[in-house]
Amino acid sequence: MSDLIVGISDIKVSNNAGDVIITYALGSCIGIVVFDPIAKVGGMLHYMLPESSLDQNKARENPEMFADTGIPLLFKSCYKLGADKKRMVVKAAGGASILDDTNFFRIGQKNIMAMRKIFWKNNVMIDKEDIGLNYNRTVRLEISTGKVFVRTSGGEMKEL
Amino acid sequence: MKTLDRILKSINTIPAFPATGNKVAQLLTKPDYSVNEVAGVIKFDPSITANILKMANSAYFGPRHKISNINDAVVYLGQQNLLRAIQTAGVSKYYKKGAPGYFDKVTDLWEHSVAVALMSQIISKKVTGHEDTTLYTAALLHDVGKIIMGEFVRDSLVKISALVSTQNVSFLEAEESVIGINHAELGGKIAAYWKFPTEIIEAISFHHRPDLLEKEEKMMPWMVYIADQACLMLGFGGGVDGLSYRAVSQVLKKFNLRMKDLEMSMVLLSDDLNHAKEIISII
Repeated sequence: MSDLIVGISDIKVSNNAGDVIITYALGSCIGIVVFDPIAKVGGMLHYMLPESSLDQNKARENPEMFADTGIPLLFKSCYKLGADKKRMVVKAAGGASILDDTNFFRIGQKNIMAMRKIFWKNNVMIDKEDIGLNYNRTVRLEISTGKVFVRTSGGEMKEL
Repeated sequence: MKTLDRILKSINTIPAFPATGNKVAQLLTKPDYSVNEVAGVIKFDPSITANILKMANSAYFGPRHKISNINDAVVYLGQQNLLRAIQTAGVSKYYKKGAPGYFDKVTDLWEHSVAVALMSQIISKKVTGHEDTTLYTAALLHDVGKIIMGEFVRDSLVKISALVSTQNVSFLEAEESVIGINHAELGGKIAAYWKFPTEIIEAISFHHRPDLLEKEEKMMPWMVYIADQACLMLGFGGGVDGLSYRAVSQVLKKFNLRMKDLEMSMVLLSDDLNHAKEIISII
């Protein structure tokens, strides 16, 4: 039984019922959580930027950094542990922005759009999300139950 | 006593800033300085000495051989890096207790400050073609006001949060209206008490609103601003204030930066931070 910490540009997956997967301090970055309730396999991605075209060398070295390379890798990593796409529950948190964020620093919104585009193309539904606004989030996934909790900075843990 | 008076009074209880950085900087301006002289000044402060050795051996500065004494560190690091290492080592002790009230973890403020300092150099290189030690120090100290403000923010957090969430007020503005001063202005006062140059004081005081500083041509507050915002977006050291700060949209145009440049800077920062673990671990 252990806490698996997902860093920035990182993925953790598990099929060990005792594990809890956690990522801290999502700002404009997005945390994607997937869980197969039958196989009891879960995983979490913490990506930083929308598109790998920004720096393809970096994307090869660290695909978890970008939405378009990280999201497929998250799913594949879960398939390896026996998860099935049809059964997978998908949740997302993060993508916050600074105030009056109309025409610059749009990384939060771009990250949200990138995620929607990828899921839409691949016929994946996002079951629950807590995204946007302007606060940081911590996300927890319990492998034993598949429950996902989100905590905003200074606030309380709430189930997503 | 009024809250504001209590806050201003407590500035005087902060220990003086170590003089090592200034002394070394002065020495380095002499054309005929010797490594021994510089090392001598540094050795006078044992905690800075220990931290400089740790930093010089970090992956960030990337030495091929282990550096085991200050003379070697002075030679290896070179002037710019040496000054940055001294300032980092000197600043770290003020951040040891963190800023409870803003952050959950005691190390959050320090990690954020180092990240913003490293980011300021990435931005500076992109915009001006070179790094800048004074900017580095300003960036490292930009949130120093939070070490005093923390307890007052904690006491007034309900009021501040209510303003932020319902009135479309930034965290900075809410601090000012509830407590009577904001953490940026307070940080500037601490830097003034430490006798830092005006440039650094202004960069700290205006790090959330560089547009309010009349001397428009000053680059430093804008550089600290953009480095800070980028780190907040990345979640490096986000606290109760989160991202509740105003976007000052002129900044990208001012530096002729595109969105892609900013994203690329974030990629570079994550590499730097991977190499900067020893720098972060010195507190």
